[in-house]
Amino acid sequence: MLDRRLFLASAAAFCLPALSARAAAPEAAKTFVRGLANEAIEVMGNKGSAGPERLAKFRELFKRGFDVDAIGRFVLGRYWRDATEAEQQEYLRLFEDLIVHTYAGRFSEYSGETLTVLDARPEDDRVLLVTSQVNRTAGPPIRLDWRIAEREGGFKIVDVVIEAVSMSVTQRSEFASVIQRGGGKVASLLTALRDKTKNMQTR
Amino acid sequence: MNDEARDPFEPLNRHIFAVNQAIDVALVRPIASTYREVMPAEIKKAVNNFLNYLKSPVILANDLLQGEWKRAGETTERFFYNTLALGLVDVATHIPFHDEDFGQTLAVWGIAEGPYLVLPLIGPSNPRDGIGIAVDWFIDPVYWISVNNQWDGLIYGRTAARVITARVDTIPATDDLERTSLDYYAAIRDIYRQRRADEIRNRATRPTPRVFFDQYRALIIQEQPQPAVTN
Repeated sequence: MLDRRLFLASAAAFCLPALSARAAAPEAAKTFVRGLANEAIEVMGNKGSAGPERLAKFRELFKRGFDVDAIGRFVLGRYWRDATEAEQQEYLRLFEDLIVHTYAGRFSEYSGETLTVLDARPEDDRVLLVTSQVNRTAGPPIRLDWRIAEREGGFKIVDVVIEAVSMSVTQRSEFASVIQRGGGKVASLLTALRDKTKNMQTR
Repeated sequence: MNDEARDPFEPLNRHIFAVNQAIDVALVRPIASTYREVMPAEIKKAVNNFLNYLKSPVILANDLLQGEWKRAGETTERFFYNTLALGLVDVATHIPFHDEDFGQTLAVWGIAEGPYLVLPLIGPSNPRDGIGIAVDWFIDPVYWISVNNQWDGLIYGRTAARVITARVDTIPATDDLERTSLDYYAAIRDIYRQRRADEIRNRATRPTPRVFFDQYRALIIQEQPQPAVTN
C-alpha cells in the first residue's frame, strides 16, 4: 500500500515537469503565429518599397515560417517516389514559387484586417493546431487555422486551413489530377507549374 | 482513373463545369460584382436578412430531422423576433444564424454522398446534395404559398437573389483560386467536399485527417534526409 502510494507520488513528481512543458507549447505556438502574421502584414503592407523587393522579403519570411519542402512532398504524395531526383528538385523549387506567390497575392490585398489568435492544442506529440480568425471591416470573420510542427529549431507551419478548407489537402488532390490527366507523369505537373509560376510573376 | 477523386463522370462533369463557367463569366459574376460594388451596405444586409428569414421554415425542418433540438429552438426564436422587423432587419443577433439543408440531414442520417456531380446551373454537387436541393424546394412553405397566390415574382426574385448573393460571397475566393490553381476544376471539387463536410459537422472542429499523420510522421516528425538542393 505504502509502496503504491510512493510510486504514485514519484510518478506524479516525474510527470509534472513533463506536463507543464507540454502545456507551454500551445502558448508558444500562438505567439509564433501572431508574430509571423504581423511580420507578413508589415512586409506586404509596406507599399513604399518596390514590388520585387517586397516579394523577396516576403519569400524569406515565408521560408522561415513554413516548412515548404515538407508541404511540397506531402502535396505530391505518392508521386514523390515516382519522380526522378532532378524532377524532385525542380518540383520543390517550382512549388516554393507557387505558394510564395499565392500567399503574397493574398497579403497584397491586405486592407486593415486583423488576426485574432484564438486557441492552440496539440494534435499529436509534435503537431499543434492553432485556431484564429481574420476580422474584416465588412462581413463576418474568416476562420483560419494553422497546423504547426514542433521541431528542434522551433515551429514550422505545415498547413493552413481557411474556413475548414486545407490548402495542403486541396493542392494534393489538384496535383494528383494534373498528373493523372498528364498520363501519370510527374513531368506534366512540372510543365503546369512552370506555366503557372511564370504567369504569376508577370502579373 | 483517379480513385481518390471519386469522380467517375469526370469528362461529363468537366463539360458541364465549363458551361457553368461560361454562364458565370457572361452573366452571374458581372451582376454579382456590380451588386457588390453599387448596392449600399444597408440594402445588401437587408436582402441577406430577408433571404435568411424566408429560409427559416426549411432550416427548422432540417434541424428537427437531425434531432438538433437546441438549434431548432434557435431557428424558431430568431423567426419570431425577426417577424417583428418583417425579416428585413436582424433583431435577433444575440442568437447566431445557422443554415441547414436536407443534403446535410441525409449525411447526418448516414447516407453516403455518392460520386461527384456538376449540375447544370447549380454547380458542384453529388446525388445526396442534389436530392437535398429537391426536397428542400418541395418542403418549403414559402414556395407553396407563392404558388397558391401566384406570386411568381417572389419565386423568381428569391431564386435570383439567392444566386447573386451567394456569388457575391465567393468572388474573392474564386478569383484567388483561379489565379493560383493548376487545375481549377479539381481544386473546386476538393474544396466543395471539404466545405460540405464542415457544414455537416455544423462547423465543429474537425479531427485531423488521417492522411496527415500517415504522411507527416514520415515527413515531419521523424528525421528526413534533406533534399540536396537548397533554394
